[in-house]
Order: sequence, then structure tokens, then C-alpha cells
Amino acid sequence: MALENTRKWRYGINRWFVLAFFLLAVVAANNFPPVAPHILVAAERLSATPLFTLPVIGPFYLTNTITALIVVDLVVILLALAVRNSLRKGDLVPGGISGMMEMLVDMLNNMTESTAGRWTKTIFPWFASIMIIVLVSNWMGLIPGMEAIGFLEHAEEDGHAAIQLLPGVMAMTAEEGEYNVVPFFRGISTDLNFTIALALISLIATQIVGVRAQGWRYIYRFFNVRTLFTRPGFGAMDLAVSLLELISEFSKILSFSFRLFGNMFAGLVLLFLVVSLVPAFAPSLVMLFEFFIGAIQAFVFGMLTLVFMSQATQGHGEEHGE
Amino acid sequence: MTGDIVEAAKFIGAGLSMIGALGAGIGIGLSVQGALEGMARNPDTYGTLLTNMILGIAFSEAIAIYCLVIAFLMLFVL
Repeated sequence: MALENTRKWRYGINRWFVLAFFLLAVVAANNFPPVAPHILVAAERLSATPLFTLPVIGPFYLTNTITALIVVDLVVILLALAVRNSLRKGDLVPGGISGMMEMLVDMLNNMTESTAGRWTKTIFPWFASIMIIVLVSNWMGLIPGMEAIGFLEHAEEDGHAAIQLLPGVMAMTAEEGEYNVVPFFRGISTDLNFTIALALISLIATQIVGVRAQGWRYIYRFFNVRTLFTRPGFGAMDLAVSLLELISEFSKILSFSFRLFGNMFAGLVLLFLVVSLVPAFAPSLVMLFEFFIGAIQAFVFGMLTLVFMSQATQGHGEEHGE
Repeated sequence: MTGDIVEAAKFIGAGLSMIGALGAGIGIGLSVQGALEGMARNPDTYGTLLTNMILGIAFSEAIAIYCLVIAFLMLFVL
């Protein structure tokens, strides 16, 4: 009984911070009424002239999701460097960021081992890097001010008036006007280009893993002609099923990309709407919800990659062959 | 006048496209029901059931999200 440490639970100083931020939000919302933003599905361009032009594909503009992608890449590279530094020092018990990363990577590795078996070493890098990139990019959009700070530009329709706060710094007001904000950053997962690219990478890597695991036999997954001549009836059915498999492989690109894009874009719009309706307290709850959704979507994207890859390593139909 | 009708049709179409969320709601409810029954019968499987339940929920939710994407496209792009 004497060893038992009975300390009274105290909220500490943090509750005053919460109260102060809450009051600050109320005051700020009274002085600067929130502006219903102009919601665009496509990423806005930061530069008027294209960065470079490719012959077939077309011009490339610097959009605000590309700047966000650069930030995401920097964060991931810095995480990797932090882990490398702490490994160099030879800490047996890593703490801080590298400890957290070790826990995450260990968890992902266990998950891969239980699903992929002896192909863990091939599949794990794809799975873990896709998961970490998607996780960081989902959470990047939740940083306050991420989608609210940007250039002013003349709006073609339903713009708002702007007033001067400091020299060179303007703030939007709720009145009708002629300006719009083009934010510097926007959550990268809310750009369809990013999610389609990620889905293509995942699916093409799946084919590569499949070919490495099964060799040329991997083609039987899509054109199953092994039993076509020995047992014509069932063979034709097998061929039809494997052709369906080929079609579903292409539909995976759509479902992969639209799942991530839809979830994150819906979160963005929900956040915008809640902020412009109830500016003081409700956005924090929505932010918490989006934090959860971002983690779940990263988990789902990575997990599906893992499952599809481990399916590709197992040739099916061999057990009832000759 | 014609612009108003197009505007109204956009909103009606966006609303109609969200009917698809009905199926996703039923699917999520069924999967949570199954997982909770399994957890209640065999509490040891809590961890694996929870993971698979969340995966299943994300799949069914994706259907509703497709509807939401169509609704957003109608509202903001068209």
C-alpha cells in the first residue's frame, strides 16, 4: 500500500490554453466574420505561365498542391534522416521521433508478415512507404492556416472585399467584392492527380511483384488457358473468370484513387462549411474527426496494396491442375 | 430563367446522387453488427475483428464517397 502512488488527477495549465484559444476564436470571429470560400475541385494555379511543357501531355503549372507535395516530401525525408541519425549514434533504446517511427515500422512489418509470408521483404517497402506518404499528406491538410493563407487574385464571380491589416497583408471580409484567395498550400490528397498517380504506382508495382514471384506463369492470372483444351467446358469458364480479373484490375485504379480523393475532399468541404457556419468551437471537433479519417484512409490504402500484392504472389488454380 | 433552371437541376441532381449513400449505410450497419456479435461471443478476437471491421467499413463507405464525389462534381464543376 505504501508503494502505491496516489496522485490526484489535475488538468494542469492546459485547460487555460484551451479556454484562451476558445475566447480568441470567438473574438476573432466577431471581428473578422468567416468567409464562405470558393470551392474548386481542381488545384489552383500559383503561376500564370507554365513551368515547362511536355510534348504530348501538355503544360505544367505550379499549383498549390505541388507546393504541398514538396512539403510532404521534405517531412518524410526529415523523418528518415532523424531515424538514420539516431541509428548512427547506436542508441539501443531510441526515443522521440525515431522511437515513434520504430514502433510504426515494427507494427507495419508484423502486419506484412502475417499477410504476405515469405514475400515480406519484397512487399514491405511498397506497403510502408505508401502508407507513410499518404498518412503525412492526409494530416498535412489539417494544419490551421494551410488553406486560408495565400495570394489575392481578382475573382470572376462571387468574390469578396479585402481590407488592409498590415502593410502588404490583407484580410478577406464577408462583403461582396472583387477578390479571391488562392492558397499557397492545399492538402495534397485533395488533388485527383496525386491519388491517381499513387494508385497507378501501387497497381504497377503489384504486377512487378507478381511477375517476380511467379515468373511467366503470372500471365495465367489474366489469360487462364491451362484447362481450355483438357476440359473445354470448365476451361472456357476459367478463361472468362480470368478475363474478369483483368477488368477488375483496371477498376482498382478507379476505386483506389476515388476513395482517397473523395474522403479527403469531402473532409475539406465539410471543414470549410463548418468554419463558415459555426466559426468558434465546432471546427475543432471536425478537425479531430478528419484526423481519424486521414489515419483510416492511409491504413486502408496501404492495407489494400498489401493484400493485392500478396494475392499476386500466390498463383491460384495450381492445386486442381494436373 | 434558363440559368435558374440549370442551377436548380444541379442541386436536384446532387441531392439525387446521394441516394446511393443508403446502401453504404446499410452495409456499414451490417458489418458493425456482425463484428460486435463476434466480439460479444468471443472477446479474444477483439483486435483482429476491429481491424477487419474498420477495413470493411472503409470499403462500404467508399461507395457513399463515390456518390459524394459525383454530388461535388455537379455542385462545383459543372
